[in-house]
Amino acid sequence: MSALHVRVRVAGEEYALPVEEVLEVAELGDVTPLPGAAAAVVGVRNLRGQVVPVVDLGTVMGLPGGSAPQRIVIAEAGGRKAALAVDRVAGVEQLPEASEEVESPHLVRAALADGSLVGVVDVGSVLDAVQGPPQR
Amino acid sequence: MTEPDAELLEVFREEATERLDSMVETLLALEAGGAQPEAIDSLFRDAHSIKGSAGMVGVEEVRAIAHKMEDALEDARKRGEFAHELTDPMLRATDALRHAVGGEGGMASGALQELSAVIAQRGRGPGVAEAAPAAEAAPEPASGAPKERRSMRMSTEKVDRLFEAVGETVLHSRRLERLVVADAALEREDEHLEGELGRGELLLSELQDSVIQLRTLPLGSITARFPRAVRDLAATYDKQVQLVITGADTQLDRTILDGISETISHLLSNAVAHGIEPPEERERAGKAARGRIDLRAGQRGSLVAIEVADDGRGVALELLQKAGEGGALADTLAEAGFSTAEEVTEVSGRGVGLDAVKSHVESLGGSLEVHSSPGEGTTVTMLLPLTLALLRVLVVERSGQRFGLPLTSVEEVLIVSDTLSLGGREAIEVRGQSIPVADLGLIIGGAVQELPERRQAVIVASSGRRVAALCDRIVEEQEAVVKSLGPLLTAVSGYLGAAIMNDGGIALILDPAFLTRRLPRGAVAAVAPEGERPPSKVLVVDDQFAVRQLQRSILEAAGYQVVTARDGREALTKVAGEPDIELVVTDIEMPEMDGIELLRTIRADTDQASLPVVVVTSRTGEEDRRRGLDAGADAYIVKDHFDQNALLETVDRLLTR
Repeated sequence: MSALHVRVRVAGEEYALPVEEVLEVAELGDVTPLPGAAAAVVGVRNLRGQVVPVVDLGTVMGLPGGSAPQRIVIAEAGGRKAALAVDRVAGVEQLPEASEEVESPHLVRAALADGSLVGVVDVGSVLDAVQGPPQR
Repeated sequence: MTEPDAELLEVFREEATERLDSMVETLLALEAGGAQPEAIDSLFRDAHSIKGSAGMVGVEEVRAIAHKMEDALEDARKRGEFAHELTDPMLRATDALRHAVGGEGGMASGALQELSAVIAQRGRGPGVAEAAPAAEAAPEPASGAPKERRSMRMSTEKVDRLFEAVGETVLHSRRLERLVVADAALEREDEHLEGELGRGELLLSELQDSVIQLRTLPLGSITARFPRAVRDLAATYDKQVQLVITGADTQLDRTILDGISETISHLLSNAVAHGIEPPEERERAGKAARGRIDLRAGQRGSLVAIEVADDGRGVALELLQKAGEGGALADTLAEAGFSTAEEVTEVSGRGVGLDAVKSHVESLGGSLEVHSSPGEGTTVTMLLPLTLALLRVLVVERSGQRFGLPLTSVEEVLIVSDTLSLGGREAIEVRGQSIPVADLGLIIGGAVQELPERRQAVIVASSGRRVAALCDRIVEEQEAVVKSLGPLLTAVSGYLGAAIMNDGGIALILDPAFLTRRLPRGAVAAVAPEGERPPSKVLVVDDQFAVRQLQRSILEAAGYQVVTARDGREALTKVAGEPDIELVVTDIEMPEMDGIELLRTIRADTDQASLPVVVVTSRTGEEDRRRGLDAGADAYIVKDHFDQNALLETVDRLLTR
């Protein structure tokens, strides 16, 4: 896997997604709420005729309230596609290979870049967390 | 190339599965004695072909099993007969192959040993030394063009994408047509334009038809394993059952077929286990010792009917009577099957799991019907839509969000003004029928805004249940391409999918079965206290004072009015004298008249036959349970597990349904 990542910002924290797992980036757009779904599921969105679930990355990462999603990163893992809602997409860049210790179950590793700590998101684990039993 | 190509492997799997299906069919035909002499050759060809392609994709276990099958068949060919004792090992070998083909190993060694043993045993028998002269027949017929079906394998996803695209195109052309026609009407008549529009519509509907056909498959594509399953299951019950399949060429949408296979197999198991009687019992009743199950399929208008019919004992008379009192037999059986551990888990066998079958059929937009005659058999009919292509929906709005309701489930749209209270819930009366009223937003669990003063409701019906769903506004009726919410959201219930509206927004398509079944107390509009009905009266029957008092206090605390009786006879007097008694909770063992006798008497009385009766007893024996069920108990609570929640839940459920 290359070290090329899509850098995003959520509730003041820095995250990155491996480019291999990212299909595209788009505006948040109109999201239709889906009652009965997990709390992190904001709803579903029409993405060029496809119905895609929108997942609030901040909620999954345990950052309640702090996020103000503007953009979505369409990611795919294990045949499941979802739009991860983030505050901002900072760009695509190489992350240093050297890893820092992390404890979050939804992070593969963390890296130090430009003096800030960047969590590398485990997309599969994020989707697993959302796919759980219904909340109703 | 070390790893076999994934796509190649998939092609191999599909082909092998088809060959295996055909082998099982041939083996069963041989066993029944109805196979032609070329049956052995056909088995040989299948095994040989599986072996060949397994070698190609490098699946060693598959190759080994297929090879051993060839050995056994070679021997049979030499003798010119298929020995009876070969059937079981061969069938098990097909199972092992199926596993190995699916990528799961582990069954090979057992199957190989078993086959080897049979071959060795046959070898010791007389006649093995005489090598048959005709043994040299080539596995594949060398001459004569094999009737080859020209076909193309394609990923289902690709077909689905095409399918959706065509659906959207159809919708788009309708919108375009409407615009053009509206425009033309203002300006001038343009015959040429209208002609082209008409032609476009025709072409598009042809395109749509052929894409729909692309996605349909015959029912036969999933029935291959049923004869074998029925045979095996019947054997474990020491029953004789013949499965007759008709209409296997009936076409169904693949998405419907995918889910229906398990449902059919469930119905078949029910028929074998509970419908068909043991041979002795059948003979006593003047029937053939061998039972018959028919699996029939056929088109009925825009629906496909799939029936599982047995010639067994039929469902209990009590249930038939109960169903006759209103509501379909399918509902009665499905409800009886809806039970907790403390309650009835088996109602003459037929209720078991029927609720699951019913809800599955409903989730596909279909419905379930059950017909039964005592002693003559039971027929379960699933009515399914031909395709999930374009669904006609009624679009409604609630709290600023649009929802689609399948038009087949919408009975009417009305303004709710006068409501009444039924069991503490708000209801409206429509043509003599009372229908619960609930806020659509609350049913599905969304955040809701206040409803407008002029309350609009859509009467939604699903398998005999109804609800008046309140919403802000009825938008319009339209056709929609229903898209799946995708694998991430499969655990979320209540939706058939989502449709993209003309403005690009999304309307969630609601599942009518979910709406009508799910009426949480909170979802029901608050009831005006002055409309409140007096509390339901429950009769508690038990010979022990302490038990009567315990049950009385539990029920009274929950707001019921309670009367008591010491035995069956006293209970009958109370029931006759107090017609407002709505439910009976009774013990079984009592002096004078026991609970079973009480139950029978109530059921035999036409005025009281539908009175719900809950049987409570300390005895857990199957025999007692069956006696209670046969006599027509609605629910069964075992005293050993007695807890007040179980009692209250049961009483509550029986009184509100």
